[in-house]
Amino acid sequence: MPDLLDRAAVRLDAVAADRDDAIRQCGRTLLDVGAVDTTYVEAMVERERSISTYVGEGVAIPHGTLAGKDAVRHDALCVLRFPGGVDWDGNHVVLCVGIAAKGDGHVRLLSELAQILLDPDKARALRESTDVDEVIRLLQPDAEEVTQ
Amino acid sequence: MPTRTVAVAARTGLHARPAALFVKAAADQETPVRIRVGDGPAVPAASMLAVLSLGVGHGTEVTLEADGPGADAALDALAALLARDLDAEEPADA
Repeated sequence: MPDLLDRAAVRLDAVAADRDDAIRQCGRTLLDVGAVDTTYVEAMVERERSISTYVGEGVAIPHGTLAGKDAVRHDALCVLRFPGGVDWDGNHVVLCVGIAAKGDGHVRLLSELAQILLDPDKARALRESTDVDEVIRLLQPDAEEVTQ
Repeated sequence: MPTRTVAVAARTGLHARPAALFVKAAADQETPVRIRVGDGPAVPAASMLAVLSLGVGHGTEVTLEADGPGADAALDALAALLARDLDAEEPADA
């Protein structure tokens, strides 16, 4: 997962007017790091209208539709933290993990992210972190086992 | 305990959208249903994070299990859902 996450794609002090604004900011972040074409941004908004990408623990994982896959240049993640929170169809979202994925790679990627979020301590640390390095470290599966 | 084993038909696996549809359907059942891959740990089918954590790819066989009133009906409904290509049911304009 760390290889997929460019430091430039981590923003921990984002502010969004609403859900769609938050999604578009994720899309533009993926665009800025060269992972997607511009059409992917609206594909992400469309996907969200189809079904919510809220996964729990204050986290949403916006990503494009299948039709939007052609707009993906390479697999990548972005992490946007909204300290003020975003109303996500009634859920309170603090962290968006935006996803650009071409093939099946994102199934494993989502599995890793979900395993991190199932650990309440790690989920809280992710939501509350204001340090880019810490966020990148938290998103590395088994990072603790390596360093301890 | 009643179980059903089914191969996941969604062409991209049980990821965000198919997973969300499955989790919602599981939450609508009156009996709690659990899902596992092979001999792995069974996790609540109504938990999005738990289902995503399984990392189920296309064609992977998963086992659903439930006990109690309505267990068989719940398992039949959810197994039938997994046997459909949920990705193919995406609205054409989405």
